[in-house]
Order: sequence, then structure tokens, then C-alpha cells
Amino acid sequence: MSMSRRSSRADALPCNGHSFQSFLQLKQIASRRNYGLSALEFTPATQLELSRYVAENAQTERRTLCPVGGRTALHFGFSAPEPGVLVSMSQLNRLVDYPARDMTITVEAGMRIIDLQRTLAEQRQQLPIDIAQAERATVGGALATNTSGPRRFGHGTFRDYVIGISAIDAEGRLFKAGGRVVKNVAGYDICKLLVGSRGTLGILTQVTLKLRPLPETSAQLWMTVDSFTEIEDRLQRLLTSQVRPNAVEVLNPAAAALIVASARCELPTNAPVLCVGVEGSRREVDWQLDVLTQELTSIGVQECRQVRDHNADRIWESLTDFQTCADDPLTFEANLRPSQCMAFAERATQLGVAVQVHAGNGLVIGQLLDEAATIDHSTTILNELRPLARSQGGNLVVLHCDGEWKVRMPMCGDAEHSWPLMKQLKRKLDPQGLLNPGRFMDGAATA
Amino acid sequence: MTTALAESSLSSARSQSMLDRLRAIVGKDGILADREDLLVYECDGYVVEKKCPDIVVFPTSTEQVVEVVKLCNEYQIPFVPRGAGTSLAGGCLPIGGGLMIALTRMKRILEINLRDRYAIVEPGLVNVHLTQALKGTGYHYAPDPSSQGACTIGGNFATNSGGPHTLKYGVTVNHVMGAEVVLPDGSIAQLGGTVEDVPGYDLTGLFVGNEGTLGICTKVIVKLTRDPAAYRTMLGVFETVTDATRAISEIIGAGIVPAALEMMDQGIVSALEQAFHFGFPLDAGAVLLIEVDGLEVAVDDEAQRIIALCKQTGAREVRQANTPKERQLLWKCRKQAFGAIGRLSPSYCTQDGVVPRTKLPEILEFITACGLRHDLRIVNVFHAGDGNIHPILLFDERNAEQVARVLLASDEILGKCIELGGSVTGEHGIGVEKISFMNKLFSPEDLAVMSLIRDCFNPKGLCSPGKMLPTSAGCGNEHVPKIKPGRRAAM
Ligand SMILES: Cc1cc2nc3c(=O)[nH]c(=O)nc-3n(C[C@H](O)[C@H](O)[C@H](O)COP(=O)(O)OP(=O)(O)OC[C@H]3O[C@@H](n4cnc5c(N)ncnc54)[C@H](O)[C@@H]3O)c2cc1C
Ligand SMILES: Cc1cc2nc3c(=O)[nH]c(=O)nc-3n(C[C@H](O)[C@H](O)[C@H](O)COP(=O)(O)OP(=O)(O)OC[C@H]3O[C@@H](n4cnc5c(N)ncnc54)[C@H](O)[C@@H]3O)c2cc1C
Repeated sequence: MSMSRRSSRADALPCNGHSFQSFLQLKQIASRRNYGLSALEFTPATQLELSRYVAENAQTERRTLCPVGGRTALHFGFSAPEPGVLVSMSQLNRLVDYPARDMTITVEAGMRIIDLQRTLAEQRQQLPIDIAQAERATVGGALATNTSGPRRFGHGTFRDYVIGISAIDAEGRLFKAGGRVVKNVAGYDICKLLVGSRGTLGILTQVTLKLRPLPETSAQLWMTVDSFTEIEDRLQRLLTSQVRPNAVEVLNPAAAALIVASARCELPTNAPVLCVGVEGSRREVDWQLDVLTQELTSIGVQECRQVRDHNADRIWESLTDFQTCADDPLTFEANLRPSQCMAFAERATQLGVAVQVHAGNGLVIGQLLDEAATIDHSTTILNELRPLARSQGGNLVVLHCDGEWKVRMPMCGDAEHSWPLMKQLKRKLDPQGLLNPGRFMDGAATA
Repeated sequence: MTTALAESSLSSARSQSMLDRLRAIVGKDGILADREDLLVYECDGYVVEKKCPDIVVFPTSTEQVVEVVKLCNEYQIPFVPRGAGTSLAGGCLPIGGGLMIALTRMKRILEINLRDRYAIVEPGLVNVHLTQALKGTGYHYAPDPSSQGACTIGGNFATNSGGPHTLKYGVTVNHVMGAEVVLPDGSIAQLGGTVEDVPGYDLTGLFVGNEGTLGICTKVIVKLTRDPAAYRTMLGVFETVTDATRAISEIIGAGIVPAALEMMDQGIVSALEQAFHFGFPLDAGAVLLIEVDGLEVAVDDEAQRIIALCKQTGAREVRQANTPKERQLLWKCRKQAFGAIGRLSPSYCTQDGVVPRTKLPEILEFITACGLRHDLRIVNVFHAGDGNIHPILLFDERNAEQVARVLLASDEILGKCIELGGSVTGEHGIGVEKISFMNKLFSPEDLAVMSLIRDCFNPKGLCSPGKMLPTSAGCGNEHVPKIKPGRRAAM
């Protein structure tokens, strides 16, 4: 079996079975480069319809199912070993309930992130999670990939905001967990289990989120610093700063140049960059920028700029999209202890990687640039970095690469101690292996 | 020596051999098996139902926990973990007897790492001891249940505890990065870690709040939170409960997230006043204890906005704590509220329910009406900002007919919480107390998926049987009928 097999075979799939057919509006779509996914597609209009379809499938055809939202992250993980059905969530995109004064919202999983954000902004509220490609990405897809961005330092991630879910398991059972109130400990917290589960445990149909007020404004302090060692010194000062940043980003010159270019801002990128974000009322933001400037700038800092208003918004967006912007051969993410990040970034820089670090959280996103356009070269670079990541309990996951390369890449990272347990749980919830099989926590052996 | 175990289903020869082997694992000081010694462990903070474990062991290491659990599997006897026993839902009740594994001797802080902002602790560590150990570092462990002077981090992990500052900072699960768990078959699972985003499913998130049904937590990796730079603490005095709840709704609705927002009604205030003479107005319908925190440049603005909103909704006055000492005094009265209830009534039952915050006026009116209907006195002190109510039903346990009315009223209040779109527990858990509500809150499908999860990790059902889920597949589940309401309070 070749994991990298492309999807052309899917065109030959028959779509038969009458009762099966009754739920189906199967349509052929062009085979997709990279994804190894099928050409069959089912677009339910209600969660009930979806649940019937999945139940029927589990008993009859037993096709594998891949839920899809905005299709921005379908390349995550390994390619599907066999073609199945794409379950498009595009019509399950309704607002279910938005009691704004309770600061919660319930939406269907296919709602686009941008629509969610607009609805919330009308009430001066937000889901404070940075989600790349918000015009396309959906609530369900973002949640299933546990996506995040720079502001996770100040605001946390999906697990901190999801308070209720409805989902359909592989047997078609529509189930829910949690509820619509902000505090609730009744039953197992299956919401947490589904965050980041990549559509392998259930198809999310509805999500209830806890919300936050929109801050009046936000800004960044952007500084170029002599070396990563000097930045580490600043990061340590930040630990007991008087300021409470919402983001602490470090960029090497290659990444900084890409981000500044995509944000259409003029900022220095000729040395490693420390970019600290703050938010709040205008007064708070002014005060924080002043104090940060005093606390951080001394010998070792070359240039220091305040980024405000529209420029700040564009920088946020570029910092969020960096992880997805690659036409380049390969993008990876390493999760480390914050204290290891600068050494890792330095090594990656020497290897010619464009590096963004969510330094407060220990996450490093690296893009191998065009020079590394062969699988052998990419592998050499990763082989240098993986042991560094593993040395203190971290890991390195390839987010994006050429479909042909996947079998040789750590698409899910190296095996973690608890994977056997997770696989056991997967088998329990999806005994026939129908939901996104082979794409998650697999292939450790090939690593 | 007559052991309780000898009287249970195990033959005496077998029980003797089990005791010998347990002693070999935990040492003779690490085991209790005499009737009199076991009495202390017949219940936790939920005193309604009582049952002695056959044996209590006090392991001092993960390896010992593993050996003990393996032995239970070999002898096929049930086991239940216990921390400080402050559970208000009967989480520690040894249903079906068997072994109780008390974690209180595993209480070391294994590591504090400020650079990477985590601490690794053993499960028996008392919550407040971690905060004390962090004093002066600029960091703290955020979850602060009112029982924090006694309850353990392992217990907090198992019940996903909250506290007054949950409103802004989140509950236990938001502060746990990983854990070591001895699974019900005696194997060790390492969940999460000292780094974020460990590839795979978030089993850490699933295990927090499992109420001891998925294994025994032997280590917890917690996040450390930066201390706030400044606070402002206020006391809003209102004529009526309705005015106070409207103020809550206005504050949250205005996009302000205070660090804490707690309500006490007249019943509680007058009890507190009798007990401690804080100088509270006795004729006020309700008071709100409100705290904002953040940057020094911001807290005054925020406090002023809150004061204005309180006045708009009819606050008679809003007092501000001007010194740390005054702040401490305000918090002291909030935290001692339950101690004062003893003055009002010989017994009391604390309920724990949640409603959407805008439904607070409705649920409080319902509670008042419910009290009148059943001729019961009910007072309220609770985490208002989260919509997490704690009505306290006062009664005399010698009066059986009154006791029956308390049970009825509690059920009606929790039923109303469900009807208003809420939940029957915000922080105390299901335990044995609220099992009968699970199928009102969840559908058979929801419960089936939860059962699959439990059976995946706890297939023989030996670990904490009879808790949380209404039917317990694969093990003898003797459900304890509810005869009396709980008496302890919690806030
Ligand atoms: C090149 C590129 C790189 C990216 N890199 C990153 C990255 O490094 N880190 C990051 O966090 N984000 C990354 N993303 C961001 C991506 O935008 C988010 O993950 C996005 O939120 C996914 O949403 P979607 O609706 O597009 O999901 P899709 O791409 O449609 O689906 C993503 C995954 O979620 C599953 N899924 C979708 N909907 C559901 C549902 N309703 N129920 C259950 N499962 C579902 C799918 O089966 C699939 O496994 C990247 C995107 C691109 C294009
Ligand atoms: C006065 C008072 C005030 C309270 N205030 C609050 C409050 O503000 N917020 C709140 O959330 N709760 C509150 N509670 C409830 C209680 O204190 C919490 O549930 C607490 O987390 C229990 O901790 P414990 O160590 O006492 O655990 P225990 O009561 O010993 O156990 C609780 C549950 O956890 C399980 N357990 C314990 N340790 C472990 C372990 N190591 N591994 C696996 N399972 C384990 C037990 O089996 C049981 O099911 C209060 C209780 C009282 C008496």
C-alpha cells in the first residue's frame, strides 16, 4: 500500500446502493493533488441527515469518511490509504443561538470563521483565537486541527473556549457533551477530546463557545536584536515584566521579511526580531508600550518600533498566516519548552529555515525555503532538528509538504508514550476505522 | 485483629494473604484495616451516604500505586482513590467496598520551573501549599476552590474544580498541562507534558474531571500564572436580589470580565453579621463582592465603570476596599460565609447548579418560590459571574418530613437549572449524589459514548464503580438510594 498514492483512482468508484443513494448527492470532483482523497462528496443539509447517512454507511458500504470544512488543512497528516467520501460541512453553517449577554455562542460546525468573527464583532465580542485563512476555514475544521496563532500566549487555545459540542460518531450516533453554560462538570469532557482530533473520532456538527470582549485596540513593539542569545535575555526579563503581553513572537530575518512583506509594512528585518504584542484600552496600550520599551531596550537592541492601528492589524494577520503561507516545499511545527526555543531557532536559522516562534508557548514554525526543494535535503535538515526537539520532551510535526514525500516525513511527529492508549480509544469509538483512517498518529514507524 | 475485609466477600484466607501482600507494598504504617480506623473514611464532604472501605492504603510512590492496583485486579476487588475527602458529591464513597487508595502521603512538589512556567506536583499536595511555595516569585497556581486550605491538587484534577477567580482565569482543566495516571489495569500513562501541543488527542483534557473513574492520578503538571499587577475590590449593596442580578448581567453585558463576581443574599449577610460584625447593612437584599484585576493604569477605570453600572441598577452604595487589609476582610467574609450558616440552622444542604448568567434573576426567583412552596428557608452565596448557583437549604435533620421536603426542593431547583439551559453541577461533580440527573441532562446516545470511554480505560469497572455514569456496564453497581440531603456547604 502506498500512502502517497494520489486520488485519481477515486474517479472509478461506483456510487451505488439505493437507500444509500437517497441521502447522497454524490458528485465527482477533480482529483486533488496532495490529499490522496477521494472524489465522492456528500453535502448534508442537516445534522440529522448526516447522522442517518453515517449510520447507513457504517452498516452497508463502510466507506471511509473525511469531514471537510474550508479545505485549508486537509493535507495535515498522512494521505488517506484508500479513497472514501468527503463529507462537506458547507451547508451546516447556521447560527444556532447567540445570547450575547451570556457571552456564549452556538454555531454549526461548517460556519466560516470570518462569519463567526463578524457576528461577534457586532456585539464587540470575539473568539480570541488566531485562525489562518479565516475567509475559508470553518469552526469545525479549526477546532479539529486545534489551530492557533500568536495570541495564544494571552488567550489560550480552543480547549479554553469550547464548552459544548454535538458530533456524530462513526456509527452515525449523534451525541453531545458539555452544554451551553460557561461552567459545567457533568460527565466526561469529550469537548477536549475532540479538539485537535482531526476528524478521526467524530464529525463535529455544532459547537458552543465561550467568548471574550473585544479590546479597544492592540499594538506591537517590534525590535531587531543582535542575536538569539540577546533575545533569550529579553524573554527572561519579560517573565517578570510589569506588562502583560498577549503575544511574544520571535522571528529570524527570513521569516520577518516574509511577514513584513505580506503585511505591507515597513519594519526592519535585518536581524532576529522580537515582537511583543499588547492590547486593551488606548491608555493601557500606550502605557504598556512605554514600559516595554524601557524594560527591553538596552545594548543589543538595534532598532525598536511601535506598530499601531491598521499596521498592527496587518501584522497580526501575517503572523497568523505564516504557518499556512508556504508555496515552499515544507512547513513544520516543533513544540518545545520555551527556554529551548532560542537555541533551536538559531540552529534552524543556520540551516536556512524561515522561523517563527510563539516564544511564550514554546512553539516553533519553520518553513524550508526553496533551496531545500529536494526530499533528501529536507530530510537532512529535519534530522538535525528533530533530536533537538525531542531532547526535552518536545516533538516535531510536518504540517505541509509534497504529497509524495509524506511517507518519509514525521507527519504526526514521533510516537508519544500515550499513543497506544489513544489508538485504543480510537478503536473503541470507531471500531471499523471509518473516520479519516491512517492520517493521524500513524506512520511513526517510518519516521 | 478483626478486619473489615474478613467480613466481606473475600474468604478470610484470601483476605489475609491480600493484607500481607499490601503490607509488603506500602509497609505496615501505610495501611488501615481495623473497623475503628476505617470509620473516618466512611464518607467525604457528602455525608448522606456512608460506607466503610475494607482497607485503606497510603502509598508513597507511583510504583506502590501500580502494585496496589495490580493486586486489586488479581483479587478482583474494587478500589477508589481519595484525596482530602472534601468532595461534596460522594466521589470517595467506596461503592461495593474494597480498597481505598488515599493519596495524601504523596504530597511533594517535584519541580517548579518559572522559566517554562510549570510545576510538577504529587496528587496529595494541598492546593494552597503550591500557592504558598510560589509566594514572591510573581507567579501562582490560579484555581482557588474555597476548600483550597484542605483539598488536594489530585482531587482538583479529578473533579475539575473551580473557585471564585474561575470567572477570569478558568477552571482546573485550563491550568493542567499533563499528568501521570495509573490506569485501572495498573499500567502507567503519561499524558500531555511540560511542553504544549503534544501530538495526539488531548487525553489530559479528557482525564481532568473524570471523578476517579479512569484511573489514579499520581502526578500533575500544572501551568503557573502571572500574578495580577493590581486589584480593586468592591462591595455593592442592593435592595433586592433582582437588582443585584441585573447588575451582574449589566457588568458582563458591558464586556467587563471581573476577576471575581460573587453574590451573597440577605440570609447569608445577616448570618455573617451576627457571627463576625463586619458592618454589613442588615436590611440589604443582597450584596455583590466584585474584584477586578489587571494593570494599575486600567483597574481604576474598570472599577469606576462597575460602580456606575451598579448604581444604575439600583445599588444603594458601593464600598471600595482601599487597603490590602480591607480587601482581605471582604474575602474573609466571603470565604467564611458557610461557617456562619451554622448559626442559622442545625443542618444545611448546599446545591450546585448552573444557569446562563442572564437567567440568574429567573432561577433566584424560582428558588425563593420553591422555598415558600416547601416551607423551607433557603439562602444563597455563589459564583454569580459564572451563573454557578449554590442555594443552601436549611433544615433540621431530626425532622424526617422536613428532610423529604429538602430533597424534593433540591431536585426541583436542579430540574429548573436544566430547563433554563444550564447544568446540575458547575464544580462539585456528579459523584453518587447526582447520578439520577445524568439521563435528564444527557441523551442515551450521549451516555453511551461516555460509557464507551469509561470502558476503554476501565473495562472491568473495578476503579471507582458506581460513580458519574448511571449504569455501570461490567460491574456490580449497587446504587445507593438517597435518603438524606447533604449537610455541608461549599462556596
Ligand atoms: C498550507 C496550510 C498550512 C496550515 N498550517 C497550519 C498549521 O500549521 N497550524 C494550524 O493550526 N493551522 C494550519 N492551517 C490552518 C488552517 O487554516 C486551520 O487548521 C483551519 O482552521 C482548518 O479549517 P478548515 O475548515 O479549512 O478545515 P479543513 O481543512 O477542511 O479540515 C481540516 C481537518 O479537520 C477535519 N474536519 C473539518 N471539519 C470537521 C468537522 N466538522 N468535524 C470533524 N472534523 C472536521 C478534516 O477532516 C481535516 O482533518 C494551515 C492551512 C494551510 C492552507
Ligand atoms: C467547604 C468546601 C468548599 C468547597 N469549595 C469548592 C469550590 O469553591 N470549588 C470547587 O470546585 N469545589 C469546592 N468544594 C468541593 C471539593 O473541595 C473539591 O471537589 C475538591 O477538588 C476535592 O478535592 P479533595 O482532595 O478533597 O478530593 P476528594 O474529595 O478526596 O475526592 C474527590 C473525587 O476525586 C477523586 N480523586 C481524588 N484524588 C484523586 C486522584 N489522585 N486520582 C484520581 N481521582 C482522585 C475521588 O475518587 C473523588 O471522586 C468545596 C468543598 C468544601 C467542603
